[in-house]
Amino acid sequence: MRSLLDPTAHLRTLGALASSGDPLFVHGLNWQVWLIVAIKVLVAFSALLVSVMLMIWFERKVISDMQSRIGPNRAGPWGLLQTMADGIKLFFKEDLLPERADSFVFKLAPYLSLIPALLIFTVVPVGGVITVGSHTFELQVADPPIGILFVLAMSSIAVYGVMLAGWSSGSKYPLLGSVRASAQMISYEAALGMTVVTVVLISGSLSTRAIVDSQAAAFWDWNLIRLGFLPFIFFMIAITAELTRPPFDLTEAESELVGGFHTEYSSIRFALFFLAEFMNTITMSAVVVTLFFGGPDGPIPRFIPTAEIWMPVVWFLLKVLVFLFIYVWFRAALPRFRYDQLMDLGWKRLIPMTLGWLMIVAAIVVWHWWGLLVAVGVVAAAVLLNRAFAVGATREEEHAILPPVGQRVWALSASDSGSDVDAERGDEGGPR
Amino acid sequence: MDQYLPIVLLLGLGLLFAAGSFVGSSLLGPAKKPTGAKIAPYECGIVPDHEPPQRFPVRFYLVAMIFIIFDIEIVFLYPWAVIFREIRVFGFVEVLVFAVVVFVAFLFLISNGALNWGPAKRLSEGMPSRTSDSTILRITATPSPPTSPERAA
Repeated sequence: MRSLLDPTAHLRTLGALASSGDPLFVHGLNWQVWLIVAIKVLVAFSALLVSVMLMIWFERKVISDMQSRIGPNRAGPWGLLQTMADGIKLFFKEDLLPERADSFVFKLAPYLSLIPALLIFTVVPVGGVITVGSHTFELQVADPPIGILFVLAMSSIAVYGVMLAGWSSGSKYPLLGSVRASAQMISYEAALGMTVVTVVLISGSLSTRAIVDSQAAAFWDWNLIRLGFLPFIFFMIAITAELTRPPFDLTEAESELVGGFHTEYSSIRFALFFLAEFMNTITMSAVVVTLFFGGPDGPIPRFIPTAEIWMPVVWFLLKVLVFLFIYVWFRAALPRFRYDQLMDLGWKRLIPMTLGWLMIVAAIVVWHWWGLLVAVGVVAAAVLLNRAFAVGATREEEHAILPPVGQRVWALSASDSGSDVDAERGDEGGPR
Repeated sequence: MDQYLPIVLLLGLGLLFAAGSFVGSSLLGPAKKPTGAKIAPYECGIVPDHEPPQRFPVRFYLVAMIFIIFDIEIVFLYPWAVIFREIRVFGFVEVLVFAVVVFVAFLFLISNGALNWGPAKRLSEGMPSRTSDSTILRITATPSPPTSPERAA
């Protein structure tokens, strides 16, 4: 909260707003700028692919350790090349198109999953600002002024990939998985968006670079601490549900839905879905680090030459690695939610809590005592909400639609059900 | 718009990669020999005899509609959050009123049971004990009247 009291914070934020954008483009486009952009894009792309390969290996290895197994250990040293072997194997498999599938949408869905996963990473700041020759640029693929909105937009498009894959397969399990997935993803998107608003509120900019810069002053300026831990926890829960990672992996609950939305996919299309899933895990870990943990911020040993160039990147990678481990840990430690528990957590807990916390933070930014006042208001709202839960539960019983087994009218005889239909028609005809 | 150039380039590269994988797979993979069993919907070896369901519980649609309320709220909140430090008290009071209105709507939805999931809880209330008669009554299309009504009830 220190910077909230800082009278210059206001000006600093405005400055960050004005200077947002990669300084690489200030002198227009020439071939050197194109070259730097091309190198950035190629490095980011190959780094993502390699990190997905390592992430799948890491997940299998850590899960194995937690379950007292050995895990992959044949392909390459410590089984490091196992993922590559699996990928190459999938290239040599027959690509099937199910007979009931909608062929165009079925083929489109893997693109809709993979491309957003790739693009989200572009706005994540990986390091500081460096100068090569006469060109100064940020260690980040792109720095559009809408930054964090781009992340949300892309993660919304990823929902289409999952939804259309399941719908177009023309099969039961994928359809069930995709309906669950789309309901789950939109439910948690509300809470996710509200938490990001809290971050934007304190940083005063949508640009990811500005968000990271606003946290760079000191350790206690990280949004994790400035916003009071809770938004981070909300964000972590919401993002895990968005990723459909355990314990929110109802969309591909193996024990009931075979493989979920990608049951009917084979060969390289299946591989692309997996690539997208793990790429999303990595990029979302990077987004958590950007929003709450200062991105590449960290102590730099100035006595080592060039440390201020590579040390932020090391800090960034270390922080991301912690979150990747946490995701694997979740998977090993937590049982899957039931679907009604999942929806209750999203709608009845997370959304009101994120809204309440947003109001408290906004009030504190204006004036401390308002924060206290709004906090009292939020507690009162929580009491009201609790009452609403109780009323809602009684409504559930009132609306019982099915009479007890053995007393169902349509099961008794044909003449009975016929008179029932007549009675219904009479009811409908009444008002007319 | 220069800031978006790398994103467009990466989009192109990603599309190229995905398309290239399909081409590579079709070159390297075996020739397509679809058989009836291969292209049938996968149901763990059971021959599918039902079409996939066309209708879903109304709750899914309800959730999608309620989501719109919150999505619109969030759309309004982003521009407000960006310039919040300039409009301070005015902006705060405006959004507080707005949030209270949305919250009242949310309370209404909750107290109507619009966000409750799962019919299992309703069915468990007042369900008579299951006997062979009640089961026969339930599953047969034209049941004979229960032989011992007091057992079925």
